[in-house]
Amino acid sequence: MTSDNHDHKHCLEMFQKLSEYIDGELDQVNCAEIEKHADNCVACFTCLETLKRTVAICKNVKDQPVPQEFSRKLKEIIQNIPKTTSP
Amino acid sequence: MTAEKNPNHKKINDKDFELIQAINSGQTDKFHDLVKRYEQKLYNFSLRMCRDHSDAEDMIQETFLNVFRYLKNFRYETKFKNWLYKVAASTCIKKRRKSKFAPDKELSLDEFRPGNETEVPDHVPDWALMPLDKLLNQELSSTINQEILSLPKKYRLVIVLRDIEGFSTVETAQILGLSPSNVKVRLHRARLYLRDKLKGYFENDQR
Repeated sequence: MTSDNHDHKHCLEMFQKLSEYIDGELDQVNCAEIEKHADNCVACFTCLETLKRTVAICKNVKDQPVPQEFSRKLKEIIQNIPKTTSP
Repeated sequence: MTAEKNPNHKKINDKDFELIQAINSGQTDKFHDLVKRYEQKLYNFSLRMCRDHSDAEDMIQETFLNVFRYLKNFRYETKFKNWLYKVAASTCIKKRRKSKFAPDKELSLDEFRPGNETEVPDHVPDWALMPLDKLLNQELSSTINQEILSLPKKYRLVIVLRDIEGFSTVETAQILGLSPSNVKVRLHRARLYLRDKLKGYFENDQR
């Protein structure tokens, strides 16, 4: 990242594509534009890095175990489904 | 009809197909094995979709009952997991329609534009730079789960399927019956919403 002395008219355009950039769903031209812009815009660079981190947190959040009592209850319900229901 | 018998569809490798074929050929006692495979995933999906445990448990029960009811209609043209989540998402959406909740709030992109923040940041905050394993503790997990629950449901469904359950854009679109571009729009807004909440969490607590 260099300086923040630039025309901010492209910020919104870049901003709309940040998730697609993070997900690798943009073509090379768009990726290069975002990288160039982020290198010169502290606000967009910060937005990109905090958004990446948000996605990483979501992807790594731990699951809760199923309570044993509910698991037993679900088993009972499954065992008691009328066999005529299907399959 | 199996994928192998249908030349119009790509062959799909799915560890669940054998079990489903056994259930559909009359071994209904094996249905519980299928439930055990997905019980934990669906329990956590339901907790993220419903605001209380009782609703989440109802949602799982209804989902598995619907799966049992409609398993004969499964066409082996998609992974079973994708079909299961389609049933679960549909159950979740129907439950909401029956409830007294107000319609989902729309999230506007303008709310999240960097230029709209009171102070334009001059550096990347520590929480976006420090190693993830040092950051992601029990409290942060609990906070992110709470903030996911505070998202309007149409955005929540998309971010949970994409970023937590790991489905692709196309798979999520198929599960929810949306276009891929609609999935991308909702996902981006949901992520920006959570980013703002995390920013507030770290700034307020001065972590």
